[in-house]
Amino acid sequence: MSNNGMLFDLLQILACLSLLTLLVKPLGRYMTRVYQGDRTLLSPIFVPVENLLYRAAGIDPQVEMGWKQYALAMLIFNGLGGLVLLAILLLQGWLPVNPEKFAGFSWDLALNTAVSFMTNTNWQFYSGESAASYFTQTLGLTVQQFLSAASGMAILIALIRGFARHTAETLGNFWVDLTRGTLYILLPLSLIAAVFLASQGVIQNFSPYAKTTLIQEVQDTKGNVVKEQTIPMGPVASLEAIKELGTNGGGFFNANSSHPFENPTPVTNFVEILLILLIPAGLTYTFGHMVGSTRQGWAIYVAMMILFVCALGAMYWAESHGNPLVQKSGVQGIYLEGKEVRFGLGGSVLFSCATTGTSCGAVNNMHDSLTPLGGLVPLWLILLGEIVFGGVGSGLYTMLAFVVIAVFVAGLMIGRTPEYLGKKIEIREMWMSVIIVLTAGIVILWFSGVSLLIPAGVSAMSNPGPHGLSEVLYAFASTANNNGSALAGLNGNMFYNLMTAAAMLLGRFFPKVAVLAMAGSLVRKKYIPPSLGTLPTDQAPFVLWLVLVIWIIGALTFFPALAMGPMVEHLIMQGGL
Amino acid sequence: MVSTSKEAKGILDPGVLKGALRASFKKLDPRALWSNPVMLCVEVGSVITTVNFAYGLASGKGEPAWFTGLVSFWLWLTVLFATFAEALAEGRGKARAEDLRKTRTEVMAKKLKKPELGAPYDLVSGQQLRKGDVILVEANDMIPGDGEVIVGAALVDESAVTGESAPVVREAGGDRSAVTGGTRVIANRFVMRITANPGETFLDRMIALVEGAKRRKTPNEIALEVLLIALTVVFLLVVLNLSPVSIYSAKARGQGQPVTLTVIIALFVCLIPTTIAALLSAIGIAGMDRLFQRNVIAMSGRAIEAAGDVNVLLLDKTGTITLGNRQAVAFIPVAGHTDAQVAEAAFWLPSPTRPRKVAALWCWLRKNINCACGSCRPTPPPFPSGPRPASAGWISMSAPIVKARRRPSSALWKAGAGPFPRNLIPRLPRLPKPGAPPWW
Repeated sequence: MSNNGMLFDLLQILACLSLLTLLVKPLGRYMTRVYQGDRTLLSPIFVPVENLLYRAAGIDPQVEMGWKQYALAMLIFNGLGGLVLLAILLLQGWLPVNPEKFAGFSWDLALNTAVSFMTNTNWQFYSGESAASYFTQTLGLTVQQFLSAASGMAILIALIRGFARHTAETLGNFWVDLTRGTLYILLPLSLIAAVFLASQGVIQNFSPYAKTTLIQEVQDTKGNVVKEQTIPMGPVASLEAIKELGTNGGGFFNANSSHPFENPTPVTNFVEILLILLIPAGLTYTFGHMVGSTRQGWAIYVAMMILFVCALGAMYWAESHGNPLVQKSGVQGIYLEGKEVRFGLGGSVLFSCATTGTSCGAVNNMHDSLTPLGGLVPLWLILLGEIVFGGVGSGLYTMLAFVVIAVFVAGLMIGRTPEYLGKKIEIREMWMSVIIVLTAGIVILWFSGVSLLIPAGVSAMSNPGPHGLSEVLYAFASTANNNGSALAGLNGNMFYNLMTAAAMLLGRFFPKVAVLAMAGSLVRKKYIPPSLGTLPTDQAPFVLWLVLVIWIIGALTFFPALAMGPMVEHLIMQGGL
Repeated sequence: MVSTSKEAKGILDPGVLKGALRASFKKLDPRALWSNPVMLCVEVGSVITTVNFAYGLASGKGEPAWFTGLVSFWLWLTVLFATFAEALAEGRGKARAEDLRKTRTEVMAKKLKKPELGAPYDLVSGQQLRKGDVILVEANDMIPGDGEVIVGAALVDESAVTGESAPVVREAGGDRSAVTGGTRVIANRFVMRITANPGETFLDRMIALVEGAKRRKTPNEIALEVLLIALTVVFLLVVLNLSPVSIYSAKARGQGQPVTLTVIIALFVCLIPTTIAALLSAIGIAGMDRLFQRNVIAMSGRAIEAAGDVNVLLLDKTGTITLGNRQAVAFIPVAGHTDAQVAEAAFWLPSPTRPRKVAALWCWLRKNINCACGSCRPTPPPFPSGPRPASAGWISMSAPIVKARRRPSSALWKAGAGPFPRNLIPRLPRLPKPGAPPWW
């Protein structure tokens, strides 16, 4: 490929990552103030709203909760949200704002979709433009995109309080954290983003689908002459903003962020990538700030950045090399199969890494069309547990579980008592960290194995062979880790609807409750001031060690499965079989 | 009291090895392996492959018998290695305890027919004494068991048990009548009644401790085990997942064979953290054993963990089972002073009230220093005029160990004689290295 193109890609990546790094501190600081209940710029507007909400719901914002209460509140809240969404999806046909007269979802698809949006996964076995009404998209799906994100952040904040407080019992009030996260962080940021996206050409309307006459008539697969084209419309910009910002990923259209109405220009593409990474990256600073040492937050940020850049480099390398068979046939230029020309290689690769490193799952290119090794990278990022910046809240709490494991192993290796941020790492913390880190892996291996043995699982695969394996693996990786992107190739039958729904529920709520349990145990501990015997966790050696631990755990768990899927596929491609 | 051989039994002592080998097979019992789930998994795998091997031999079908046989062989070796390592580590502790016990049985007791000083007695082994027996203990006899004095009074050297160097008076009646086995009567004699059966005495409990069979897991060890178990579960799923994947792949491509059970078990054992799991208990026991070689009895794994953080160990008096007669074995001159000055200063150490210490000092000075200071004469020289030399600073041994590790100078230096001499710091860690007291 041309050097100019590569230089442009490099500049774009550099610009994106530097801008992100610059935004970490101001946003992180702002979020700290929000969650600590301090006055912020937006307080004059939102404090009355907040108080009104508390009074209406009968909540005393001063009363704090222990971890069990916090977990219960979270589960009830998300459960109710899921039920409301389920009802909306099932009853869609009778509900208003449905110009295209879409019928309700089948029960298994509705269940899958409700679970998917409630868990911040946004796995879509349906096509937005041909199945979901405007009412569903806005009041059903978009609402859950806000709430599932705010709920993830609240859990993280509870864990941070577990580290920051000592000899205490309570972790804060879930309702307050949820409300403040939504009002002060998600709402204003997504408003700004939505207005910007709309200004760039992302549509926002409630019109019926537009129809245009084709300049040239075409024939469909059945041989009928087609003269008209239907162009789906809808309130896209409002969904698009929170889709990226809340690392949700559930697109308005089936084509997601590769659709011109969702992501029209390279500029919107750049902004969307930034939006995906913004809050997860900023939360690392919030973490450092709240535990009293911003260096601790930066250390985690650097570890994430190392993981991200390595993945990005690997994927860029694999994609720029493309398929040797195509090159052999004399075709020159970048390998653009499945990518949008307006984003190019850099914009596509950056988006793919950002969306899978976080739990977003929006896509601006077809992951199924990536080269085997190029597709391995997003899969790998998901399998690591989406900690490379990670989902809003969920990324950092998973990362902190990795940190606990890394501190523990390092402590034993150099003969130090394992401590992190002045808290002793003991049996309970180890159990919880292990649950947080390994739940998704266990679900993925278990469910994908079962799917390959059951006829319903095998018959739904449209690409048999190693690529089909990758697709099944990707589907469960994506759902168990609450990503939501897909390699496609799986027909959404009832079996997969239910299996992926179960994967999403297990992958979301098991770790979440474990996080709260860990926070509950940490918050009770005494603070041990750092001494000569304490392992410094804010310096380069520990950061590298952390990266290594993450890689090793990921590789040990998934190498056999990856070897049978993408790696075999790569060898077959190289061999020209 | 305890005069064991100076060298601990080596790791390659044939007796220890043989015992460990026997024990390692005994430890294959699943009930015994239950406490080590990772190794239990390996054992289950070994059983399955062995059955597979037997089936292959008998029927001639399936995988080649040499393959399954070899895999089974290696798997059994893995399990045996783990149990052997643990048995070996335990065996050394047991051998040591055996030594202790042997010396104890050599104590002879004078068993009285009547509880009177002049009554006739039989010489019996200390092991045969039972609760309620009445015995006579005379000067230079070792007290054969725990009990109380019922007639008479004597001066008893209890340094072996309490660490107190000055002998104490034990007499009938009152609250000073209890005596402990293993201590020695220095002067006079008394009649005592045994109050503990063999196996229940203070010494017996100590021996049981040394045997270390009932090793409790340390908190870190349990936390590590959590990680190991979790990894084992994940790897179990990894290989279980591999089976459908390979079945599917073979079917989809219409060529190749799915991975066999033996291969999956072999892969599983390769993946799971067998090495750490196998050695974890052995490491713990070996740690206790190593401490024991230095004459420290670790009562729990927790103690070993704490010991890992200690660089310098300072004791304010001798330990529980060591003799309490301190001796000066070396003087270290600092800040440019000569040996002679140190010797002179040492003579003027504060609290020269204890006769034993002075005697020890004298003994050493006479032996080692041909000095002209005059302090080596039987009568002390006049007190030197002028400020006391810095080297005479009294090194307080009472500071807590941990504190000493973090801030050596402040904890050690209490002389009020100027700054702590820097050139002493690098030498501090080497000081206690020789380890055992000279009589051990």
